Amino acid sequence: MIINNFRKFVCLISLLGICSCTQQVTRLPSQFESRNQEEPALSGNGEKLAFIVDYQGRPSVELRDLRNGNVLPLRHLSRNQPHSSPSLSWNGRYIAVIAQRGVKRLVIIEDRLTGRSHQLPIPGERMPVRLSLSPDASQLALQIIDKGKWRIELFDLRGKIEPDLPSGTEFFNNSRAEN
Amino acid sequence: MNSQSYLRLTVRCSFILSLLFLGGCLRGNMRPIASFNDALFRFSSSYREPSLSNQWLVALTNSQGKDKIEMINIRTRARIALPGINRADSQPISVSVSANGQRLALVRQRADQTELLIYRRSVGTLQLIELIPKGVPRRVSLDSSGRVLAVQVSRDGRWDVEVIRLKS
Repeated sequence: MIINNFRKFVCLISLLGICSCTQQVTRLPSQFESRNQEEPALSGNGEKLAFIVDYQGRPSVELRDLRNGNVLPLRHLSRNQPHSSPSLSWNGRYIAVIAQRGVKRLVIIEDRLTGRSHQLPIPGERMPVRLSLSPDASQLALQIIDKGKWRIELFDLRGKIEPDLPSGTEFFNNSRAEN
Repeated sequence: MNSQSYLRLTVRCSFILSLLFLGGCLRGNMRPIASFNDALFRFSSSYREPSLSNQWLVALTNSQGKDKIEMINIRTRARIALPGINRADSQPISVSVSANGQRLALVRQRADQTELLIYRRSVGTLQLIELIPKGVPRRVSLDSSGRVLAVQVSRDGRWDVEVIRLKS
């Protein structure tokens, strides 16, 4: 009797465990076009998503607002393809991407609040491959190829661009609404 | 004032203007954090796939021919132990870290399976995130809270991006 009850109890707990695991994951309905979408990057607050879309053989960065699925305009990133490795700051104020200018790969950071763009060329023969912006946009980690080897270098962006902090959400949204 | 004085004044002005211009350009450049970069190079000469939070850098590195995930505290420049995340029978492909460094999302290849997982550092556990319908994950990005992740998935020969919200 005790063993039977114990088995029932174990079964019940297992079922509850399985149910709780499966319920932990929710998926947003797909709102994207039927093109290849690669290299996703979420903003720190999880509200914006950047990814690379193949537009007729030209990999280009696209930014979406996950709350409504809208495509957000990018003033400076409609050229310099191919784009790769997008990265967003906390509120999505900054979007960083590796782009092409002539024969050089370079880092472009677009400030969506001021509409300014910061082009960060990499000195020497080193080529940028992937990047990651810290949520507050104070630092940038850059994977480069240097003499045939992959390495990561950290760069300080303080003094170059303003921080994008969680508390800046309201200011950023209000400023955009005014624009 | 004769013509020589004018020439000297012009040269001096040009020199000062050049210095000011160069100063402005240099101030605008991003500065490498040399002390951290040197420390990183001493750990390993090969790092890739960086994921940065305000305090942590997580990346893939190759040690003795095997790829593994490493986490480094940017302030202290210390490598952080990640018990249970690197296994002899698996190969990490992509990794992303939450803002407080407590959660990591990763894609790894294990036998003939490519898995999407969440690693909780406080308890050292890995949770498999099932893709429905089935697909092959490639790259993953975690938000700062570690509760929303975006993953690049291959299905029927096409790459899609899927956003998954975790309840806990």
